[in-house]
Amino acid sequence: MQWMTLLKKELLENWRNKKWIWVPLVIILLSIMDPLTTYFMPQILDSVGGMPEGTVIEMPEFAPAEVVLITLGQLSSLGVLIVVLITMGTITGERKSGVSELVLVKPVSFWNYISAKWVSFLLLVWASLFFGILVHWYYINILFGNLSFTEFLTIFFFFGVWLTFVVSLTIFYSSVVKSTGLVAFFTILTIMAMSLVTEIFQYVLDWSPNNLSDYIFESLVNGEVVSDLWITAGITFGISLLLLVSSVQIFKRKEMVIS
Amino acid sequence: MEVLTENIQLFLPLIIIQVVLFIVAIIDIIRIKETNGPKWIWVIVAFLSILGPIIYFIFGRRRD
Repeated sequence: MQWMTLLKKELLENWRNKKWIWVPLVIILLSIMDPLTTYFMPQILDSVGGMPEGTVIEMPEFAPAEVVLITLGQLSSLGVLIVVLITMGTITGERKSGVSELVLVKPVSFWNYISAKWVSFLLLVWASLFFGILVHWYYINILFGNLSFTEFLTIFFFFGVWLTFVVSLTIFYSSVVKSTGLVAFFTILTIMAMSLVTEIFQYVLDWSPNNLSDYIFESLVNGEVVSDLWITAGITFGISLLLLVSSVQIFKRKEMVIS
Repeated sequence: MEVLTENIQLFLPLIIIQVVLFIVAIIDIIRIKETNGPKWIWVIVAFLSILGPIIYFIFGRRRD
């Protein structure tokens, strides 16, 4: 099985460059930072000082779902940045160092080459997210109140779909652009532009991928997965597949030109 | 600091993760053939801040 061999190569590479160690740890770090700072905010403000004597700070009581939303916001900014940074060099780097030529000189199909990369990064990102959200779920239950296991699965699965989109977009740009820095730049730019467009046309773009976090929050509040979330997740996954297929097509054409 | 010592179970995972990231980064810097720039700079970076090890993993390893 050629595809399995390629996948093993990618997994081994991500193990050797320690991504399998530090990415899960950083995602866990990001997921527990916000529950802790939210919970201990009064004490933190107290110890920082600078408040006049006798100031009483009324902190609102946070519901579990609200803290989840804050954390998803964190994961949508810093988490997405990390995902882009670990994925960006996967094709451009191999082009530069000549590894892609070494691989593709053999009868390896472009589809296998790129989809193995895609799956290997998805495994890494989904595993990291699983541990991150698991620890997050534990902290929420200790500090803020009950959040059921089904709700944990809801957060994990649907936010994973969003990160799948981010990986696909990064791999897409990685096959289009030659420089690794530009891959990161275009990916972040696209995601920012998408969130802006979603913001402006929010009454039309009900099912934009950027709305996933909001629908997860809504589902937690309602106590069941709202149908908008299913549709948005489906569309997001569809776009991801489309990006994967088109990046293979573009990559094929580019490699033809070179050789 | 009182908050920290009273709720040490809650903060312990944070500290452990930091330490593990730091140790893995240092071992990697020592064992890797070549870093992106002089090695001793990356040792300092890893020491300097909480984000140091992560910055090393992203930018310090040569992409080849």
